[in-house]
Amino acid sequence: MNLDDELRAALQREDPSPGFTQRVLAARMVAHAQSKPARKAAVPRLFWATAMAAMLVIGLAGLSEYRQKKAERAGHEAVLALRIAAEKLNMARDKVVRREN
Amino acid sequence: MRRILLIVLIASGAIAQLPAQLLQLRINGLDGLASKATESADITLDSNLLQMAAGFLAGDGKDKDQAKVKDLLVNLKAITVRSYKFKEDGQYRMEDLEPIRAQLRTPGWSKIISSQSKGEMSEIYTRTDQGKIVGFAIIAAEPKELTVVAIEGSIDLKDLSKLGGLGIPSIPIPDQGKKGKQE
Amino acid sequence: MLTQAVAANVSEAMTDDPDQFAELVREHQAMVFSMACRYLRNPALAEEIAQDVFLQLYRKLPALESPDHVLHWLRWVTAHRLIDHSRQEKRRPQSPLEDAPEPAAPSRDADPLLADMLRELVAALPENARVVMILRYQEDLDPMDIAQALDMPIATVKSHLQRSLAILRDKLSRRKGVGV
Repeated sequence: MNLDDELRAALQREDPSPGFTQRVLAARMVAHAQSKPARKAAVPRLFWATAMAAMLVIGLAGLSEYRQKKAERAGHEAVLALRIAAEKLNMARDKVVRREN
Repeated sequence: MRRILLIVLIASGAIAQLPAQLLQLRINGLDGLASKATESADITLDSNLLQMAAGFLAGDGKDKDQAKVKDLLVNLKAITVRSYKFKEDGQYRMEDLEPIRAQLRTPGWSKIISSQSKGEMSEIYTRTDQGKIVGFAIIAAEPKELTVVAIEGSIDLKDLSKLGGLGIPSIPIPDQGKKGKQE
Repeated sequence: MLTQAVAANVSEAMTDDPDQFAELVREHQAMVFSMACRYLRNPALAEEIAQDVFLQLYRKLPALESPDHVLHWLRWVTAHRLIDHSRQEKRRPQSPLEDAPEPAAPSRDADPLLADMLRELVAALPENARVVMILRYQEDLDPMDIAQALDMPIATVKSHLQRSLAILRDKLSRRKGVGV
């Protein structure tokens, strides 16, 4: 047995699992996103959202007004939800950047 | 100060009923945390509500921040957020997240970011279809905060990331007391 | 060949062109993943580290001047990332090479088992010797190239190679039917 040849055969390259390139690209998209570092207190969250919900309920009159209010509430909740998501996305991204540096 | 935010954001498949199913699954696992939280956010928006939201945010187009959000909403089918802030450490266990993480280990999901340090954990998952992201999930666990976010639909992470720098909305916030759970 | 196109302007892959960066990843993923997998004997962890290396490459691309530079940089970063990982995890104390476990007795006709045995023995080597052996036998680098890749004196590289091979021969020859 030639140990050198056996070692070359044993240690020859192999590919990672399928989809590896896609996963790298997805992580790259996160890392490439242009944003300022996340501020932990940037989103007022619950108090603001609850305040908006309360304001929406006040003066409710008629179905059309109700639907309008529902849409407004959904709009504000959507804004809040996406900002929470953005904040956490940026925080995770920043941790990765700090780790790599 | 350590904070624990639990954001459960689970992006599921393309079926319109999935948000309700997700809501059902997630509430069972995390509902008990709301009673322990000093602040919590419980947001569930299905495709109908997202359409209504987009219509509201269209407005007169003068608010650029709202316009950015509206552009993101166009291709979304569901958004789910569970976020809890606690006064003290130890109000939840990592095992509480296992039902969520188990779903994110099923075929189709990929964990693209995993970060752990000093009692904090952040994980980001995506589901892709033909090279485009069609599902997105974040789990962010800190000692006094726990946040899980799930988004179903096509989303550009660069555009989402830009929302993080938009700051506090201009609408004034009246005093709402200890808890401000929505719905 | 893609690397020729990349040579024209490596930094173009740094732009928002995912296809070009994807091609770079596909070209080098086997090398980076295999180095990590042979080193760690953990494919899942190897993929995580490989992914981190490519994210680092993405940021570094504007500073890389040629395909050879990319290749050299990837080997250097991967090798050092793996060594750093070992040290942080402290999973393997710096035990002498002689303490590396003996493999189980192989079947007389089983070359695949021999290959697996060799991979186990290499993965059991101390961290610096391990990465030297991987660069030598996976990447087919000569000692001078290994020394440059690891920023290590060439005498040290040769010492690692000689000692590691001696230990592998000794452990394999102790098994019946395995002549080295």
